[in-house]
Parts: sequence; C-alpha cells; structure tokens
Amino acid sequence: MSGFYRFDTLALHAGQTVDPEFGARAAPIYQTTSYVFPDTDTASSIFNLERGGHAYSRITNPTVGVLEQRIAALEGGSAAVCTSSGMAATFCAITAILGQGDHIVASSQMYGGNISLMKNTLPRFGITATFVDPTDLDGLQKAIGENTKLIYGELIGNPGLDIMDLEAVAEIADASRVPFMVDATFNTPYLCRCLDYGANITIHSVTKWMGGHGAAIGGAIVDGGNFDWGRDGRFPTITEPYAPFQGINFWEEFGPSAFATRIRAEAMRDFGASMAPMNAFLLLQGLETLSLRMDRHLDNTRAMLDYLSGHPQVKWVNHPDLPEHRSHELAKKYLPKGAGSIVSFGIEGGRDAGRAFIENLELASHLANVGDAKTLIIHPATTTHSRIDAEALVAAGITEDMLRLSVGLEDVDDLKADFEQGFRAAKKVGG
Amino acid sequence: MGFSTRQIHAGVEPDPVTGSILTPIYQSTTYVQPSVDEYLSKGFSYSRSGNPTVSALQRKLADLEGGVETACFGTGMGAVHATMLAFLSAGDHAIVSDVAYGGTYRLCTKVLSRFGLEFTFADTSDPDDVRKSVRKNTKLFLTETPANPTMKCSDIAAISEIAKKQGAVHAVDNTFLTPYYQRPLELGADLAIHSTTKYMDGHNATVGGAVVSRTQEQADAVRFIQNSTGSIMSPQVAWLTLQGIKTLSVRMDRQSANAMAIAEFLEAHPKVEQVAYPGLKSFAQHELSKRQASGFGAMLWFEVKGGLAAGKRLMDSVELWTLAENLGSVESLITHPVTMTHADVEPEERARVGIIDGLVRLSVGLEDADDLIDALKKALEQA
Amino acid sequence: MYVEVGGKKVFAATGGKPFDSKKPVVLFLHGSGFDHTIWGLHSRFFAFRQYSVLVPDLPGHTNSEGPPLGSIEDMADWLEAVTQAVDAKDISVVAHSQGCLVTLEFVSRHPARVKSASFVASGLATPINPALIEAAEKDPESAIAMMLSWGFGPAGHLHQGPIPGNSMLAGGRKVMRRNVPNELAADLKACNAYKNGKAAAAAIRCPVQVVLAGKDRMAPRKAGMELVAHLNEPELHVVEESGHIIPQEAPNRLRRLLRDFIFRHNPAR
Repeated sequence: MSGFYRFDTLALHAGQTVDPEFGARAAPIYQTTSYVFPDTDTASSIFNLERGGHAYSRITNPTVGVLEQRIAALEGGSAAVCTSSGMAATFCAITAILGQGDHIVASSQMYGGNISLMKNTLPRFGITATFVDPTDLDGLQKAIGENTKLIYGELIGNPGLDIMDLEAVAEIADASRVPFMVDATFNTPYLCRCLDYGANITIHSVTKWMGGHGAAIGGAIVDGGNFDWGRDGRFPTITEPYAPFQGINFWEEFGPSAFATRIRAEAMRDFGASMAPMNAFLLLQGLETLSLRMDRHLDNTRAMLDYLSGHPQVKWVNHPDLPEHRSHELAKKYLPKGAGSIVSFGIEGGRDAGRAFIENLELASHLANVGDAKTLIIHPATTTHSRIDAEALVAAGITEDMLRLSVGLEDVDDLKADFEQGFRAAKKVGG
Repeated sequence: MGFSTRQIHAGVEPDPVTGSILTPIYQSTTYVQPSVDEYLSKGFSYSRSGNPTVSALQRKLADLEGGVETACFGTGMGAVHATMLAFLSAGDHAIVSDVAYGGTYRLCTKVLSRFGLEFTFADTSDPDDVRKSVRKNTKLFLTETPANPTMKCSDIAAISEIAKKQGAVHAVDNTFLTPYYQRPLELGADLAIHSTTKYMDGHNATVGGAVVSRTQEQADAVRFIQNSTGSIMSPQVAWLTLQGIKTLSVRMDRQSANAMAIAEFLEAHPKVEQVAYPGLKSFAQHELSKRQASGFGAMLWFEVKGGLAAGKRLMDSVELWTLAENLGSVESLITHPVTMTHADVEPEERARVGIIDGLVRLSVGLEDADDLIDALKKALEQA
Repeated sequence: MYVEVGGKKVFAATGGKPFDSKKPVVLFLHGSGFDHTIWGLHSRFFAFRQYSVLVPDLPGHTNSEGPPLGSIEDMADWLEAVTQAVDAKDISVVAHSQGCLVTLEFVSRHPARVKSASFVASGLATPINPALIEAAEKDPESAIAMMLSWGFGPAGHLHQGPIPGNSMLAGGRKVMRRNVPNELAADLKACNAYKNGKAAAAAIRCPVQVVLAGKDRMAPRKAGMELVAHLNEPELHVVEESGHIIPQEAPNRLRRLLRDFIFRHNPAR
C-alpha cells in the first residue's frame, strides 16, 4: 500500500481483520460477556493496561472494536470509544475531564438532550454551563472563565441550522487552553471531518446517519489526539496518576489516545454505558453505505428545497445551502458536499395546518428521530413542544407553523407526491 | 412508486402494537392460537410454514419483481431445488443453461438424475439451440442471464416464447442483475430465482434464496414443496436481507459504475488477453444486454496473458481484492472458477461452455474505484 | 519524569512506576520523529515486573527541551549522560529504527553498564532519500505521510492498533506532528550521515537480539540481515506479518521476545 486508503474503502475495511480462525468475511458477532485467558500473566497484563486485549465486554468487545476503529479511521482520530447511545457518549466524554467546580461554554443551538444534560443534570454534580449563540464569537470568548474546561458545540445547530465556525472557535479554545468538543452527528465524517479544522474531540449519535437504518441505538467518542493535555495542570484526570490502575498516567503512557484510554478505563468500567455487539454489527452494516446514503440524502434534500421554496403554501424554508441562510458562507466552507439533510419550513395556516399536513402524509413517518433511511417529519408545536405557549415557543426558536423534516432516501418524486396530499389537507383547515 | 421507494417501503409496515418502524425479528418457532376455532386466524402457526419477518421480505421481493408471491429459502440452491421439484416429476425433462452456476449443474447431474429427472444442457444464448433441445416431456426451462461466470446472456423473451408454446415453465435466475436492472416476469418468464446472499443482502452477512412466481398456481406449487421439504429462511436472515435491500439501487449503481471503470481499465491493459463485461461495446451480446436490462451489473471476467500460472500469480499477489467465493457484496472479491466455484464441472464440459483455465472472475464492490484499479494494476505488474 | 542534562530538561516516561536506580533498567529508544509513546504498553509491562524503565524523548521531541541533536554519535553521548544522571545500572537497551543506530554507538562507546541490547526493525545504516529530507523541512505533512504510509504494514493501514478502538496510524500522525519540522529533519539527516555501523556492531560484546519485520519497507529484511551479519552471535527473530512499526503492529509477539531475552540476560531480583 502506498498512500492511504480513501474514505469509501475505509468505510468497508477499516478496523477489521478477516477472521483468522475460519476466514469469515463479515465481522463475527462476538455475543459474549467475557474471555478466557491463556494464563494469569496475560490476564494481569490486560487488567493493568500493559497489553491490549479483551477481558469483559463492558470495557471492550471485538465486534464493537471493529466499529470503533472504523469510526476513528473515518474521522482521522487516534482512537474511538463506542457507547450505548449518543447521550452516553456526551456524558462520558464530559465527565472524563470535568469535575465539581468546572465550567462549560456551550452553544445555545444544540440537540435538546445535550442542553438538558448541561442545564439540568451536570449542575447537580457541580459542573455548570453557559450557553452562547454559536455564531457570536465575541460572546463565546467572553463566556470563558477561569474554571472553563470545555467548549462544546454542534457544527450544524438545532433548530436554526446555524453553522459553527470551527476554525475560529478552535482558535479561541486553543488560546484559552481548553479542548473543543463537537457533536458531529448531523454532518458525519463524510460531510465534514471536524478534527481537521481544529476540534479536539467529536461526539456521535451513531444511531442517526452513520447507522442509517433506524435499527440500533449507539454513540461514539472520537479522540482527535491533537490536544496538549500536559500543557498545564488543568486536566489532572488525564495527566495525574490514576489510582484504580496502579497509578497509571494516561498522558505519559498513551499520548495521542490518552483521553480515549481514560474513558475506557473509567467511564466504560464505572458507568458501564457500553455498546452491545449486535448493535455494533448492525451499525457497521449501515456505515458500509454511509457515503452512498449521504449523497442520496443530499440529492433528495436539494430537490425538496427547490420544491418547498416554490410552493405557495410554504411561508419560509430554512437550510444552510440556501443563499439567504445567514450561515450560507460557512456552510460552503465546512460542508461543501451539502449541509445535511435536515430542513425546517413554515406552513401557511399555523398550528392546525401543521397538524393536518402531518396527519395526511403516508410515506413520511411522523416521529422524533432524525437521520433514518426513511423520511421523517415532526411538527414541534403539537408534539415535542405542545405543552408550552406561543411566547415560550419563540424563545426556544420554534414557531407554530414550523415543520422539521429529515429527508430520507425514497424516490423524491414519491416524497413530493406525498407532500402534495399533505398540503391539500392543510389547505382545508385554513392553510 | 419508484424502485428506490419500494425497496425501502414495500412489504413493510410499522408494527401495529409498538409503532416500531422496522419489522421485529420474530425469532419464534410457534404461535399461540386464540382458540381451536380460530386456528390460523392470525396467519401463522409454525415458522416452517410461515414467519412474519420472512413474510415481510417475501412481500417486498414480490413487489420488486412484479410477481404475485415469493417463497424464501435458506439458500439460493434451496430455491433452485424447490423449483425443480415443484415443476418436474420422474420422467420429465428440463432444459438448463449450459453455463449455469456449477452448483446447479451438480444438482442436476449428480442428484436429481437419480430420481428419474432428465436434463439437457443447452446453449441458451442461442434460442435455436434451445428449440432443438425441446422434447415432448420438457416441463421446465432454467436460464441464468448473465451466466456465471462466462457472462453469456440469454434472450429472456425469446426463450419464454418457446416455453409458452411447449406449455412449460420458464425460470430465470436473476441473481446477477436483480429486479433493479432486469425483471424477467415483465419479459414473459414465469419465475424469478434469486440467491439473496448476493446483491439483495449485499454485505456478505447472510445466505438465502427466493423464488418469485408470476401466477398464484405456480406460487402454490413452490410453497407446497417448500413446506413438504422444509427448506426455509431464518427470520434473522430475512431481517438482515430486509436491511440490505434498502440500499440495493444505490449499491447496484455504484458497483456497476465501478465495474465499468475496471472493465475499461482491463481492456486497455497490455497484459490482459480479453475482458467480458456486458457494458463493453466489445461484448458479443452488448445489444441484447441493453435491450432486456437497464444496467450491466458488477460482475466481469478477464484473462491474463500467460494462462493459468499468470492468473494464479495475480490472484495470490493482489491486495484489497479478497480471494473468496460468493459475489455481489460490498467487498470486492476475486475468484478462479476452475479451482473454486466450477471445480465440480468436468474439464471437457468447462472447455465446451467457455470456462477457460485462465479465467479470473471479479465481483466488483463498493470500494473507491481508484483503490481497486490501483490494486489490479500492481498485481498485473507481478503476474 | 524530568531530569536535567547539560542544562536542558529531558523527559523520560517510567512505565507507571517511579524510577528506582537500584533495580535493573530497561531503556527504550524511539525512532525518527516519534516519541516515548511508541513504547507505551511495553514500558508498563517491564515497570510492573521489577525493572526500572526509562523511555526518554530525544531533545526537542514532544516533552524534551530542544534543540534536536545533529548526529547519531551526539545522541549516543547524550544517552550516556541521561543514564548517568539517573544513576542507571544494569541496562537492557531496547531500540526501534533510528534508536538502533543510536544503540550501536551507545553500547560500543559506553559498554560498562549495558547488559543486553535489542534491535527492533533496523539495519546497520539508514540511508534517507533526499526528497524525504527536503519534505521534512518544507512540507512536513507530506513527509509524515510518506513515512507512515511506508512504515505501517497492512494492519496499520486498516487503522488497527495495539489497544481495541485505537488507530495506530492516526495516533502516529498526531505524535509526528508534534516533532516537525526541525526534529524530524534533524533525525533524518543524522540517520543519513551515520556510516560507522559495521565497526560499532563488531565492537559490541553484550548479548544482542535482532527483531525484524517481514513486511518492513523502511528497513527491509536484507538490510536487517546486514546488521545480523556484523553483530556478535545475535539472537534473530522475524515477525512475518508486521510492517516497520513492530512495537505497535505486533506488540504481543514483540513483548514475548523482549521478555524472554531480557529476563535471561538481565534478571530482576
């Protein structure tokens, strides 16, 4: 091999050695809890992190390991740790480096689960967060205090779809000596490798586009290996001896994968949010067609943007690939293939029209997930945010007429036909 | 609806109880009946006779091929075997493509011949040869187009016409092109047979087969044999195949584009004697391929200069391409039919149908085409 | 830990246990552009088996103060000073790639305290293509790519690693990025200029071990056999499936070989 394998090849082969015993081409599903050791010295070596290997599937599993190395390869990270869900990934990554008294500067435009974790859960353990508009670099800079240990954001924001300027934020993070963690679920490494633009850690809900089939829940933490944890004494969990592993110093011994190894040694062992081997197998299946699916997602998204933009019953359409979007230039820079397959739009006739529209769709599934092979749609005002009044909706960046669409892989003409009947029904109730 | 929509949605509905968007894996042997009088009122009794997960796949395949019903089997050979038993009895005669998959050839000559079934292996690329082989007792025509591994194509419509005249059934093994590119039932055939192991699954994860029937009568005949002989597909396999099919069209398009690029590369390479790929203008049946299929698929073969020895050297040194049986998956595979898939076919018979010793078969996968070509380029230098 | 040598701060990892000069010492040396982390798992193994472990970063590399040294001979003398500074006795040297050239000089010039030497993936000399040296200075990313692409065998290219979930290829890239352009260029020039291999090898009297890789394109087997031919009765092993980066590509096999050799020739109490 001269040069390196390219994206599509890595998506199929990275992390997998053809099964040495029988030569099986597909990654075997190691549905096992534990592993027999050949001798006690090997056992103690594995437990003491003197050698790689598998002891118990809560910490590592060969099938999950294939997925981890494949995701690391696609992201260009030095290591990845898979978790039982995307939220587990976020939680494990944050708690690996932050503790009581520490502070996060986070984007205000994030997946609701991330916001809730930082706003409601982590404060109970002494970790606080300040939320800032991700496009306001000055505000972000000002929010960083003495005890700030992390900047956290999403490349494609939720629900406004504003693009975070990765290079600019990475520069602020570097100058402030804090790591920059990015939830890269909406872009996947196929659309943007955030680590290449200075992010230090990426988080994934592999459940979404990476897995692609809505079949398994899973998360991943990718260690960029590009943060200097040893620059000062601010990250003792990485650079100070860790008693449970006989005083191991992750930074000294594992360098570019120190952060991932800390998560393996603590979060996987103590919190136990590990991925199941069957899920890893299913997610690997999905990952093999990631680029094909993303290309189709983007083709269909572009077609739906054209369709919606020209529709008389659509008041507005929001997507960073549209020239009028306020992040359009940043989208061109960081997401040249396309800024993902989430679209929001406003329907004439408000809340009632929105409800009628959704209830009369046959193809698009009405549910709260995103990134499935199938087209998904939700009307936040009557579902996720149905219990709050119009004023509170505005504060959350949601309007009564707003519909959020996750564009799937169907034949786009069938999708348009489906939407047409939704619009006809909406018109009847005043749209 | 378009093929890409149907490959995702056909045959599958959200679970009525939980709303689960995917068909659950019904890993269950038996089904509780509400009462004696309501036996089978919910449609299932025992998973040999029917399983909800397998049924979902069967509905999807029937929709994609344009048939009335599908029976899924544990393997592609299970599907071929059941087809033979459903439409042939002792003393009956079948005409089988002389370039059929080696396993089909073995089934006919070494197994079914013991039960009084008669076979003629005809050159199905030539309708006249097929016509000449017809006997009074001919009940079944089995063709494979393009054929494995020679890539010879058979004219589905022409042979269907001959079968119809004879009052016999025409079964077409459609594994190589899948209904995305070629729909035999629309061209007049009666049955479409599949090894779902290949493009349907696409990920080298399962082994399975299917028979899609044009009429209910044919479907019932196949189903009766299946239930009697117990050759069935497991729900786990059906579930994985359901996932694979969702990307069938995108995989086929990309893999075929990769195959075209590789065929063109090989054709221009000085160390290559000949290349057979239906998409090449130089391919003898290029026009027939264009007429009855909307794509050329991702299978091809070529012959290296230097014969068997050079071919073996190439396959032993090539990187990235996996030396393995099977075909149609996302991983690119390289095979030597003479020593692998068609080793059970007598040398004279191989020579007669065109499986030459130096033939190297490629199943082109989803890798970056440049990586695949780079690997072949390097291996050809060493061959 | 940090020690001071010639007024400069030198970093050396100790395998997770404090350095104790009363124990026999395993001294690990890294190759061009790399640092102590290439020996991560191996150093910890010996540190937890009654050895003191020393894994220095060469001057300028990762945690050690610069500037980088200009010749293999200077590196050998610097190593002598480092081992003197920590009062190391009964030393088993384990070296990878460029570290092996340093070891040839170090052991032949300063034999007194050395009990054994293990040479991993090296020949007697390491001629470097001038284009690579130029790239190291002017376009370090392409130099790193060239070295990693040639350095790793099949497992490395598929992003496998010594620990589940780790990509040794990406990890190696991150380490090398910390040591460009000056350190990598200095290392490569020093390797290219080193010509004393034969004489140095012949002068070594302690037990020696050579571990070569079957798929090594940086130090091909033929070059490795040159080293074997000039050493005094070396123990030879070839790890067939590995590329040049044996410590990460075949960590378990290498650890067994090192353990058997060092336990025999430099036993811990």
